[in-house]
Amino acid sequence: MRRRHFIGALATAGAAGALGGIPGWPVHASETGGAAKATLADAPSVESLPSLEGKLTLYLGTGEGGLYENVLKAIEKRNPGLELGIRRGPTAALANAIVAEGQAGVRRADVFWAVDSGAIGLVNEAGLAQPLPGDLTGLLDPVFRYERWAPITGRVRSVPFHTGRFSAKDVPTDIMALPESGLRLGWAPAYAAFQSFVTAMRLLEGEERTAAWLQAMARNARGYAGELGVVMGVERGEVDAGLANHYYTLRLKAGKPDAAVDMAFTRGDAGCLVNASGVLAVNEGELAVNFIRYLLTREVQSYLAREAAEIPLVHGVAPPDGLPPLSSLSPPELDLTRLADLRPTLDLMRDAGVL
Amino acid sequence: MNRWPGSYVPALVVAVLAVLPVVVLFGLAESPESLLEARNLRLLLNTLLLTGLTALGAIAIGVPLALLTAFVRLPWNRLWLVLLAAPLAMPSYLGAFTLHAAFGMGGELENVLGLQTPSVFGLWGATLVMTLYTYPFVLLTTRAALLGQDASLVAAARTLGMPLAACLWRVVLPRAATAVAAGALLSALYTLSDFGTPAIMGVDTFTRMIYVEYNAFGLGRAALLSLQLLAIVGLVLFLESRVAATPERPGRALVLWPRAWQAPALLLAISPVILLALVLPLAVFFLWLVRDGAGGFEPAFAWNSALASGLAALAAVVLALPVALAARAGRFGRLMERVTFLGFGVPGIVMGTALVYLGLQLPPLYQTLALLVLAYVLRFLPLAVGSIRSSVESLDSGLARAARVLGAGPREVFFRVTLPLTRRGVIAGAALVFLEAMRELPATLLLAPTGFETLATYLWRMYEAGYFGRAAVPGLLLVLLSGLGLAVMLGGERRAEFGLSGDNRS
Repeated sequence: MRRRHFIGALATAGAAGALGGIPGWPVHASETGGAAKATLADAPSVESLPSLEGKLTLYLGTGEGGLYENVLKAIEKRNPGLELGIRRGPTAALANAIVAEGQAGVRRADVFWAVDSGAIGLVNEAGLAQPLPGDLTGLLDPVFRYERWAPITGRVRSVPFHTGRFSAKDVPTDIMALPESGLRLGWAPAYAAFQSFVTAMRLLEGEERTAAWLQAMARNARGYAGELGVVMGVERGEVDAGLANHYYTLRLKAGKPDAAVDMAFTRGDAGCLVNASGVLAVNEGELAVNFIRYLLTREVQSYLAREAAEIPLVHGVAPPDGLPPLSSLSPPELDLTRLADLRPTLDLMRDAGVL
Repeated sequence: MNRWPGSYVPALVVAVLAVLPVVVLFGLAESPESLLEARNLRLLLNTLLLTGLTALGAIAIGVPLALLTAFVRLPWNRLWLVLLAAPLAMPSYLGAFTLHAAFGMGGELENVLGLQTPSVFGLWGATLVMTLYTYPFVLLTTRAALLGQDASLVAAARTLGMPLAACLWRVVLPRAATAVAAGALLSALYTLSDFGTPAIMGVDTFTRMIYVEYNAFGLGRAALLSLQLLAIVGLVLFLESRVAATPERPGRALVLWPRAWQAPALLLAISPVILLALVLPLAVFFLWLVRDGAGGFEPAFAWNSALASGLAALAAVVLALPVALAARAGRFGRLMERVTFLGFGVPGIVMGTALVYLGLQLPPLYQTLALLVLAYVLRFLPLAVGSIRSSVESLDSGLARAARVLGAGPREVFFRVTLPLTRRGVIAGAALVFLEAMRELPATLLLAPTGFETLATYLWRMYEAGYFGRAAVPGLLLVLLSGLGLAVMLGGERRAEFGLSGDNRS
């Protein structure tokens, strides 16, 4: 039901007038527009954007498929002049296709929206991403400003723990100390987000320490297929704590408010890496850039925050309920596009026998 | 040197076409460093176990069912045949997913019926699922060969006092060995390249490693691993080529009339296969449909699927005919025929990417329906070749020679003698390609025109988004449409039977 509200609301935002009066619209959309970040302009509303006219081909790398589809439907409905062609596929497959098209001198994609910044890095490295105007990237928090791509939503690495037996202070604040904490741990080594996290650790701590960490973890960690599985395992008490993206805990708790799981965050290391989904323009031109502007509006950002528990990256949109504000976390400083360098990570993981 | 047989030139063109994606893979692959690590060996062992067990399982189920559907006159004969072939229309990953959801603790069988069942998981679970969704390969190829056998040999053996069971074992089946092997080969190749089922069943296979590499943007290493997988495929192809065929004289097929009590008993015996492979997954789908509701489905998706798959089936048999004929004409033809089988062993997503590179060499064709059809043809050509070849091999070459002696040109011999006699294999081959193309996913996602949604792509999108109910509609339609396709093609097969022996059958 809420999804339908969103589409209706975005489509009729212009006609309805004042934003607060739209049914189903988040009233807390501008709550965090505090004085501390007053230098940043609040994210624009879809109403202030030019309407989109013409043909646009979007390559949509899936993962959170359903929720992004609703955003696209709403944009199409609001812009009847937009002829949006969508090619959907696994993120890595589409990234490979765009690179192949680039090599052959054939450009079919105008915009690439990927769930994973690694895929963005691959296309970027091939020199196929167009520079984005400063007033667009300027909407993002300074650490998330890149010249040739725009992060859309963020996710932070977390340590979900069982609240029946532990509290946040039982979880070490140093990710490197986690294997020796005495906690029974759950993890999902085959999962893409986990591999990005290990890549970050490798870049921050070096190969040797990362290899030692993996080996120490492998001795007492229980493997799961995905990170939702990790969080569910923690909640059932199969393990004491685990490693997962933040939204799995929030989504689980959204469906089951009394779930016995909460999140702890490490400080200043790969354990609280903030990674992002992202978008880039493969073709030059106003239309592609203006399309990306829509993804950074407060309507789209607050929808993804509310429905998918993802972290909005523009100013003036509240983070999902249940997540401490980004300013209270201390994520490591890292160029996210470097996370595309997965090869050495997989080698490390394989050598440690965890993959 | 003798003049080349007429089929060699078109066969060579097809073989070159079929080997192109493999050439692209060589271009993409990085140089090998660590071919045989300990863990690779474990993966290799798992892969070979799953493949071997599945091939055996497919024979164990497919051959008896082929005997049954070919020879025994059951009530509603054609319905049972369509139902028994229908698992081909179901993507195996869906079967794996629904069986996994149905069985075990907290499964749908327990939820709905209160039945305690063991869970379907691991190597045995994967073998069960792969067997259930690949035995129709054996069923269809074997049945086509059985129907091409002249019953007079069986009649002679029976006259000499051999019991029926011994007849089937010693007179009928040895002559169908090539077809059985061809079917088992297809099911083995399908298993080698399938990713979804081992992933859902938690079995570590070669394809899983290829996917891990691919998704980690290691296209080079994924391509290299695919080439290693191709080496296994080559081995399977070599083994299969050792099975020699017996030439067959055309004649009436054997017909067995069951006694009154035997028909229901036989149907009861085949029911577990239909229940597990079809009824259970469809029931789970219906359950989800009722629970979650449908919506957003457009009939155009079904039309798109049928159009692309139909064109692919047509093109595949046209290209497969010269290859199958060449395989009979000589050693080089045999080699060309083997080459066309390679593509079937490459995991879909790697093949899809290789075809993107290939398609980009012809930019006006890229992301058009034509290229998608070509991709299906390259990927599923072995299905058509295998099934046509087994009907070609049972041809008596004396017939063609006789026609030549009587003054017919090579063209006339082909159209009036060879083609009609291989019609059954052609139809079975077209059916296989059609069904496979209907459920193909990775290449479709990468190569179809933008916005060209098929049943399989829509199903995947809904499944990804977690709308299981909405996945039910295209899932059911996929099975229904493929069932219709099967029925039409098997109907055509019956006309072919009449055409062959119309004089003594009216």
